[in-house]
Amino acid sequence: MTALASLPPKVGVVIPALNEADAIGQVVSSLRSKYDYPIVVVDDCSEDETSQIALQAGAQVLPLAARLGAWGATQTGIRYFLQQNFDVVVTLDADGQHEPESLPALLEPILNGNADVTIGTCPGRVSRLRLLAWMMMKTTSGLRMEDITSGFRVYNRQALDELADPRATLFDYQDVGVLLCLQAADLKLLDVPVQMQERCGGGSRIFHSWLVVGRYMLQTLILGLAKRRLGTRMEGKV
Amino acid sequence: MILWINAAIGLLVATTILLLIRRDKLHIRHGVFWLFVAVAFAGLGFAPPVVDWLAKILGVGYPPILAMLATITVLVIKILLMDIDQARQEVQLQRLIQRVAILEGSLQQRIKSDDEASKS
Repeated sequence: MTALASLPPKVGVVIPALNEADAIGQVVSSLRSKYDYPIVVVDDCSEDETSQIALQAGAQVLPLAARLGAWGATQTGIRYFLQQNFDVVVTLDADGQHEPESLPALLEPILNGNADVTIGTCPGRVSRLRLLAWMMMKTTSGLRMEDITSGFRVYNRQALDELADPRATLFDYQDVGVLLCLQAADLKLLDVPVQMQERCGGGSRIFHSWLVVGRYMLQTLILGLAKRRLGTRMEGKV
Repeated sequence: MILWINAAIGLLVATTILLLIRRDKLHIRHGVFWLFVAVAFAGLGFAPPVVDWLAKILGVGYPPILAMLATITVLVIKILLMDIDQARQEVQLQRLIQRVAILEGSLQQRIKSDDEASKS
């Protein structure tokens, strides 16, 4: 885990965005009004004005030439900040679900060295059907995090190094595969309860079609089963 | 008769592979595999007793089925290897796309900084 150094750790914010023109401006402005952290919006080949609005709001934009999905976009931001020698990266959704006010609570365990990764959890926000999906994913993967699909996370340097590796590039989603990758590296993951809002615009990339949900569940369950860590279970909760 | 057809197909495929390599339409790495398979087909066709002998040892009642089974096995392995190779290429492509985005973003940032510096 990262110990507190004499210099304050460099913190960057990564926001993967696909067609989030309705919300991205507000998300970036809200973050900038409260924190001084550089914000990178990774534009996953949006067909709307997401890039321009994010730029106008004061974020730096990394435009992907082809659509890589939420995780591919997030990994791009992580690789960018690693290249700039940042110590900590915050990831959050572009749809305005995650409240910037919750950021200190997520950052604190990382900066104190009590965790390598913190995950903003808000199980009350999801439907019963999604809770059932989570239960199935947790059963096959052995993961014990509260909210395994939350994109509101903070990673320390060790976790960033793991996630920037080419082996983490093939993940399609940032949930089970990414968490199991971190677990395999013996990193400490903590759930941090946070408040979440309704989406400002756009919609879930997964939970909008039964066909996509079916494919997602099948892939995630098999991935969890294949990468499940034998013998031990992930713990941790604040 | 099926084995003779097998032999003819094997020779045809082997010739086609050589032509494709000659015209730079097929990478030599893949060409070697297909040529090996084609020659094996042709060999089995020209030497039916080998298949009959193997089938007898393995207890297969209809010897041509053994040749078909071997073919299917080889093809399944080949397809699996192709998927593994595709996954490797996908990683390379995705990381390249990420790298281009990082460079483009950095370049935009530098231009913006230079503009601001020149204005002030």
